[in-house]
Amino acid sequence: MAGTIRAQYPATIRPIRINCTGRVTPSLMMRTLGKGADGIIVAG
Amino acid sequence: MLQAARTKGLNIYTYSELENANGFVGNFDVKIRKRARFVTNDCNGCGACEPVCPAISSNEFNEGLNPRSAIYTAFAQAVPSIAQIDMTKCIKCGLCQKACELNAIDFDQKDEIQEIKVGAIVVATGWDEYIPPIGMLGFNIYPNVITQMKLERILAPNGPTIGHLARPSDGKTPKKILFIQCVGSRDLNKNTYCSSGVCCMISIKNTKLIKQHYPDCEITVAYMDIRAAGKDYEEYFTASRKEGIRYIRTNISKIEENLENHNLIIKMQNTLRDSKKFQENEFEMVVLSCAMTPPRGIKKIQTLLKLETSRDGFFKEFHARLNPIDTKIPGIILAGVSQGPKSIAESISQGRAAASSAARLMSKDKFRIALIRAKVDKEKCAKCGLCEFNCPYNAITLKDDGADVDEILCRGCGSCLANCPSEAISLRYYKENQYEKQIDAILENT
Repeated sequence: MAGTIRAQYPATIRPIRINCTGRVTPSLMMRTLGKGADGIIVAG
Repeated sequence: MLQAARTKGLNIYTYSELENANGFVGNFDVKIRKRARFVTNDCNGCGACEPVCPAISSNEFNEGLNPRSAIYTAFAQAVPSIAQIDMTKCIKCGLCQKACELNAIDFDQKDEIQEIKVGAIVVATGWDEYIPPIGMLGFNIYPNVITQMKLERILAPNGPTIGHLARPSDGKTPKKILFIQCVGSRDLNKNTYCSSGVCCMISIKNTKLIKQHYPDCEITVAYMDIRAAGKDYEEYFTASRKEGIRYIRTNISKIEENLENHNLIIKMQNTLRDSKKFQENEFEMVVLSCAMTPPRGIKKIQTLLKLETSRDGFFKEFHARLNPIDTKIPGIILAGVSQGPKSIAESISQGRAAASSAARLMSKDKFRIALIRAKVDKEKCAKCGLCEFNCPYNAITLKDDGADVDEILCRGCGSCLANCPSEAISLRYYKENQYEKQIDAILENT
């Protein structure tokens, strides 16, 4: 979506494609933060 | 309609509604409630019962402009030609029973539930006219402020005035008529959408029609923008202007009534003129060109078929530009205004497209689905039922040996596995460890 509307976003954002935001489990989020990510955006 | 009713293999359930729908593409179990007419199929539509009926109410078909009896046929060409009794109005006097030579009236008739199996469902629920709030532009307080649909009935040869233009307050033919466009549409406080130019074209058609029958009638159209986009539409609009119909770009906020003769006094300015002076005009009738809105029963159909609606309240299509015909649920197809406001020509195109979309589905023996589906490890399942509760597609049922996923209904969203406390559910191709690997790889160097 950000690509099709030519929106600029920082290079430090790493998108992970999920089929539905309902799929995001707390354990995945905890793992991401635990591995050193500064934050998570759940968008959809 | 008559031709459709006579086609073999085509069953039409009139005066019926959808009661329940279960299943999936190719195998829908549909329950239809056939509402009781209180008149059996022996009726031949002779109409002998109507004049004897003493219970009178307003005729919905003619927008409440004339009366009808409690036993009635919806309109002259109704299919099938069988009378029905409006039980909310009927006083059960039995006079119709005496008048009926065929003994077709049965006060004990009950609603019938019919279960049928279908392969695909086409939703063609149509639209309802926007009802302005009482008092807006004089609606419902001044008798000579009518909506476009009422005008249609007044002008119709089978309408209450047999096609003669008459205003409601005194039945005289109005000599000065004002059409107000965009009532309830293109308005941030009401409906933000444009009804696809349909109300513009209906107004243009009716101005031309009135001008043809009553050449001395002065007609003004107060518009925001005339949206005459489509084949021959612009020419039609130009022709209407050549016939002497005045189009004024203006925004009317208030209508007052002349108490003596029920004429309507309107102050308006022509926003395209340099002098933005307000001019006071008196009109004998005002027609509100109201927006097309989703039908009032849309919520029920939406919950029964688990469909999505767009922001405007109409059903949401698969893709607004690439596939405006199918819905996200395989086997449920949209036709006409159920998907969004559109003209007759566009509705017919979509209706035919819906028919061919259904035919394409049904002509195959097999239906391919993606394998991205939830899978339950029945040994881990604690049968708590959280997945069943959270499934937006009703694909999960709790059985004795654990949760059971219907692989055709499941759309692979993963809401069930995110909610499963026992981690018993996994999603094919989107497994937990696959995501973990992705996260680890991305955050390797941080």
